Amino acid sequence: MATPAGALQRTASPLPAFATWRALTILVTATAVLGPLSLILYQSLLTAPFFDASKQLGFGAYDFIFRDPDFWKALRNSFLISTGMTIIAVPLGGLLAFVMERTDLPGKRWFEPFILVPSFVSPMVLSFGFVVAAGPVGFYTVWFQELFGVEQAPWGLYSITAMAVIAGLTHVPNVYVYATAALKNLGSDVEEAARVAGASPLRVALEVSLPLIMPSMLFSAVLVFFLGIELFGLPLVLGDPEGILVMATYLYKLTNKLGVPSYHLMAAVAVCIVAITFPLVLLQRRLLQGARKYATIKGKAGRMKELPLGKWAWPAAALLGLFVFVTVIVPISGIALRAFVTNWGFGVNLSEALTLESFRFVWHEPTHVRAIVNTVLIGVVGGALTVACYTAIGFANHRRNDGWTRFLDYLVLVPRAVPGLLAGLAFLWVFLFFPPLTPLRTTIFSVWLAYSVVWLAYGMRLISSSLMQVSPELEEAGRSVGATRGTISRQITLPLIRPGLLASWLLVFMIFEREYSTAVYLLAPGTEVIGAQLVSLWQGGAIDIVAALSLINIVLVGIGLGIALRFGVKLRD
Amino acid sequence: MAELTVDNLHLTYGTNPILKGVSMVLNRGEVVSLLGPSGSGKTTLLRAVGGLESPHKGKISIGEKVVFDGEKNLEVPAEDRNLGLVFQSYALWPHKTVADNVAFGLKLRKVSSADIATRVQKALDELSLGHLAQRYPHQLSGGQQQRVAIARALVYNPPVILMDEPLSNLDAKLREEARAWLRELIVEMQLSALVVTHDQAESMAMSDRILLLNNGVIEQQGTPQQMYDNPQTLFTADFMGSNNRLPGKVSQMQDGRALLEGPGWKLWGRSRDSTKSGADGTGMIRLERVKVANGPGENRIEPELTTSMFLGDKWEHVFHLGDTTLRAHTAGALQKGKHWLEIPRDDLWVF
Repeated sequence: MATPAGALQRTASPLPAFATWRALTILVTATAVLGPLSLILYQSLLTAPFFDASKQLGFGAYDFIFRDPDFWKALRNSFLISTGMTIIAVPLGGLLAFVMERTDLPGKRWFEPFILVPSFVSPMVLSFGFVVAAGPVGFYTVWFQELFGVEQAPWGLYSITAMAVIAGLTHVPNVYVYATAALKNLGSDVEEAARVAGASPLRVALEVSLPLIMPSMLFSAVLVFFLGIELFGLPLVLGDPEGILVMATYLYKLTNKLGVPSYHLMAAVAVCIVAITFPLVLLQRRLLQGARKYATIKGKAGRMKELPLGKWAWPAAALLGLFVFVTVIVPISGIALRAFVTNWGFGVNLSEALTLESFRFVWHEPTHVRAIVNTVLIGVVGGALTVACYTAIGFANHRRNDGWTRFLDYLVLVPRAVPGLLAGLAFLWVFLFFPPLTPLRTTIFSVWLAYSVVWLAYGMRLISSSLMQVSPELEEAGRSVGATRGTISRQITLPLIRPGLLASWLLVFMIFEREYSTAVYLLAPGTEVIGAQLVSLWQGGAIDIVAALSLINIVLVGIGLGIALRFGVKLRD
Repeated sequence: MAELTVDNLHLTYGTNPILKGVSMVLNRGEVVSLLGPSGSGKTTLLRAVGGLESPHKGKISIGEKVVFDGEKNLEVPAEDRNLGLVFQSYALWPHKTVADNVAFGLKLRKVSSADIATRVQKALDELSLGHLAQRYPHQLSGGQQQRVAIARALVYNPPVILMDEPLSNLDAKLREEARAWLRELIVEMQLSALVVTHDQAESMAMSDRILLLNNGVIEQQGTPQQMYDNPQTLFTADFMGSNNRLPGKVSQMQDGRALLEGPGWKLWGRSRDSTKSGADGTGMIRLERVKVANGPGENRIEPELTTSMFLGDKWEHVFHLGDTTLRAHTAGALQKGKHWLEIPRDDLWVF
């Protein structure tokens, strides 16, 4: 009798293990998130870089940038591009979501991965693809000119308008994923009612379906606008020839404005950017909650029937085809071709110009090889570690509703407001600022840590949606037979969410392959990753190598995408 | 004049046939109901007429205009058929006010905004919804929502109005009132309506003609009286009312009569087309036609009363005769034990 009673007492007693572990998780997360940010804030309030002996507290840095006309131009450009891309991406994403989710367009499922491609390929790579495909001497430009015998193609890439259009197109997937999720919950009867009342499929989309998912559309509009403020790779590539700066590229070009590292100025710009993005993130959070509520109200909707398009199948297919062609086929085929060509221009015969020269060069250059190896490592091994960390945070928050849960909820949102470029910068300073960490500075660990913090909000969404799928009864049943929280987490919840974790690993892998801006400031011998290497090579004008590395990067992402599709991993919520 | 003609319509979901050759006509000013159990294809037929399902064979015409022809591969999309459809769920657009819901069809027909305002108000007033024009659907009761859905379908004067289970979303109590109200409205406005329902009482109350569907084909059609009083098949007899079933053997047939024999009883009834002498047969009689008699006689049986239930306006009794269960209604209570029941020969159908 004594043994079972004793055993029961042991399991029923409030073991401090889980609480300690939870406190530790929260502490580490808070340090990783808030440490670098406060360093940026601190640096922005100094009059010189923090390692400079002559530094003083003051608003000199703000004073300098607010007097700089380039800052205001960059700010204006950022707002123009953000607004423009929102105006393009939101209606287009909504319409594509309607076509894919609600209509009977034949073969549409085949298109879905293509629609999502722009969200998996690095914007740096895509922008570069647009340059080599449709720039002044791009493949498609030259073919167009030869085909129609014109002197100049009727488009140009190096203007604010072009940047807004390209950014708009490449951000369609961001709208698409939220719009499709919301459209799923809509009953088809309201659409059929409009149809019978005399509305064409386009009218149904514009007057019934899309207005009914207004909260989600509004959310994605704010999201796209926010991503517009963050833009870095695209304006770096497309804005450069005409000297068009946006906030992030202004910050990037500041590096040596004064001849010495002007960290205080960069920090001031960074604080300005976060001052714009953080309210947007909070707004998104509010809107998302609103959108979810709206979705559950609509949840009673009955059976779903695809809307027959009839003769409208042609315009719908044309819209879909044109979008995929312009946004995916053009840039990616451009890169694929450019990687196998070392000299290209008017009158060059493509079949004679094909060569493996660029790849041979990449292969013989140790830094490039290291960049490739590092990129694979950070995606596969780093991705797994990151998912493990996110899972730990997820468990710290799982089925808890106290002050710490809310604190963690907001904490994981914070990095969302910090563009990758700034986060990379902040982590660089952390590694320089704290001597004990300095030896890690030139290891891939520094890049991994920055990536993990930057993608915290995204990853936590993946993890918590897996955790939410575990029915509370299963865990309560564990408690009722006498298991502690820790035991339940390890032996019940964790095995149940394993498929979700594997899927998250794959998605994190793709995100890490794609990431570039975060590693820009952390780039050093030993920490090369393809993304950051591309930024640096692009600055140096090594187009051939950029093309070859870009193609390798696309292939890496493509492998991830292929595995995801093969195993039916959901690419969207 | 036929407002709607359906000719030999076939429709399949994948390999599963839903409609297997349905033909029907709806004349001007007539209310036809499509009645049948779930899965019989009644809603599918209605939706095919509305253009929301694609048949693969047959023909549908609205007035003179052919809207579907399987042979010519012609299929007019729903929005060009100019029909009114009242959905089972009402399918009111939650982001539009009552007035905007009703106005949408007129807006799509490029009616001037002044005309829209007057026609919407008129339609709403007719359905006593005038004061609710600026409300949103979720601010209305179920009955009000139903009337908005009807106003929305009627406002552009479609030649035919289709209703998919228009009453099923209302509470039982409200449903009976709405049924009377809807019948009155349809008659007053001289609408041509096709109504889907699974409730035989509802279909009889509301329609001039009933089409009973079973398994994708029309089992029988006729006026409510014909359907109820003269069913041609066992399925129709069974579906249209509450019945007693008497399994037995048909031993004789003469002059439209058949003699059905069971263990220890013999009853004369009306023979149907399918009745065969010498074969197994089933006798069917409506509950309310069975009479309690005071002694033996022609077409009478003597089962044992086992259970009685008080239903308020009458009593229902359960009798047993061998393996057969019979139910009958009386005005007053009955003693337990054996009773004589009369099965009038004109009210017993032998299938």
